[in-house]
Amino acid sequence: MGTSHSTDPGLDRIQRWMQACIMTQGECEEAIQSRAAQTVIPAADAPGLVKPSATMQALERLDVYRQMYLLRLEEALATDYPTLKHYLGESEFFRLVARYVEAYPSRSYTLNRLGDHLPEFAGTLTDIPKPEFCRDLARLEYAVTLVFDEQETPKLTPEAIQSVPQDAWERARLKPIAALRLLEADYPVSEYMGAVDEENPFPQIRKRKTFVVAYRRNYLVHRLDLKRPAYELLSALAAGKQLGQALMDVCVPGRKPAVKESQLFEWFRDWMAEGLFQSVEI
Amino acid sequence: MANNRWGYPDLGFGIGLRTVHYEHILEKRPKIDWFEILSENYMDTGGRPLYVLDQVAERYPVVLHGVSLSVGSTDPINFDYLAKLKALGKRINAHWISDHLCWTGVSGLNVHDLLPMPYTDESLRHTIERVRTIQDFMERPIALENPSTYLEFSASNWTEWDFIARLAEEADCGILLDVNNVYVSSFNHGFDPKDYIDKMPADRVVQHHLAGHTHKGTHILDTHSDYVVDSVWELYRYTYRKIGPVSTLLEWDASIPSFDVVHAEALKAKRYREGVDLEAQELEAVSSYGD
Repeated sequence: MGTSHSTDPGLDRIQRWMQACIMTQGECEEAIQSRAAQTVIPAADAPGLVKPSATMQALERLDVYRQMYLLRLEEALATDYPTLKHYLGESEFFRLVARYVEAYPSRSYTLNRLGDHLPEFAGTLTDIPKPEFCRDLARLEYAVTLVFDEQETPKLTPEAIQSVPQDAWERARLKPIAALRLLEADYPVSEYMGAVDEENPFPQIRKRKTFVVAYRRNYLVHRLDLKRPAYELLSALAAGKQLGQALMDVCVPGRKPAVKESQLFEWFRDWMAEGLFQSVEI
Repeated sequence: MANNRWGYPDLGFGIGLRTVHYEHILEKRPKIDWFEILSENYMDTGGRPLYVLDQVAERYPVVLHGVSLSVGSTDPINFDYLAKLKALGKRINAHWISDHLCWTGVSGLNVHDLLPMPYTDESLRHTIERVRTIQDFMERPIALENPSTYLEFSASNWTEWDFIARLAEEADCGILLDVNNVYVSSFNHGFDPKDYIDKMPADRVVQHHLAGHTHKGTHILDTHSDYVVDSVWELYRYTYRKIGPVSTLLEWDASIPSFDVVHAEALKAKRYREGVDLEAQELEAVSSYGD
């Protein structure tokens, strides 16, 4: 043990002060003079809390941690929202992140939860290009992250389908796999994501209703763009509606364009092939 | 051979399990002694990371290494986090569980950095108590890693090496001695890294880390983004002479090259150890020559 020191404000105050300095954006001097930092340690006492090194002043050393903070959080959010970053560009995305983490600082031990509020936050901004498109794009990317991490559930087997009595299908419920999210958007966000990921042509970013299901198969996340009635049918099934009722709701007389039987067949064939359901419940 | 008091084996020379290497590992099943995983990457997922981990754990020894224990924080211990960590350790039969001597946040917030502790009597008492509580809950000893730090608090009245040695003794926990971190902090704070190694209680050191770093001129950042520098290899050699054989892990977390490059870097540690063994044998031969 060494000698006791007179400049010891105590562990809790040191931690609250350092954290306030790290999370306050701007220059280091501004950070130590911020209300959050000065609530704990007066700015005049701050430089004395940290020892200078042979090459750096006390506050320069504190600034090392401050500079790494935003870079680290930007890296984490860029991992979850790569397409939004692509759309906004590096500097605009960084500016978004800086404002976002001020509004929604991390409260979890895992960085996986850091971006939970980014879609709604992006939608509230007025000084980024097409905030509503950014919101929808972020909603889709958020859905993809949830699908990526969902628990694995069994797939519906042909044997399970064959075991359902013919007359039971009307009241049957098709339970979707856990790793599935449905999204209705005001912009062609799935097409945009496809353009970035798969080098498809970029869509025009104009307001247009689009529908997509994000799901996981063989531990890889996929997206399937849907027509409105297919989206409605799949949403109804995912919500636990009986198959007969869900079909009646979608095939309502007078709907334009009418849903054809051949379309229904195609949708179910595709959904089964992609493994979107885990069981049939009677 | 195990030199530590818990009998944890010397697993040899491993690397961190990283996403970019998943395919290579599953397809090629490379011959490697062991893997270390970043615990938090596998705790809240039921997807591909866990699927890959289960397969890796079937074939290789695995050790859990976390960044969110926040053992030095004045916030309450997060038992939800600990429960998940404990379950993950059981799921893959982890050889041991480690984290860092640091804090990551306070007042319910998380900075997601390994922040430095003031090395004071109060900090020591506080951390000892928390490590004991954590180990009781986990029903196993944990190992704490010496972090790379970029500032020192004026309040500190302990050196880091004395602090961590006393902490390990009083809390009865292990030490993950990161040789690169010793080097990085020695440059940043101006001490002799050998003094640090000399004070480590050998019977509590259960693992070593090695990594590359980034020299910024005025300070060194622990970036895990490059090959291990010669000075750190020399310090590793010195550490091996002092402490003996300990499971050694090469960390490479940014600009990650191919699996083979990372593995080859890890295996350099084996050659350093063999070099020291050879020297010792030669010395013994010389000294016994006159017998």
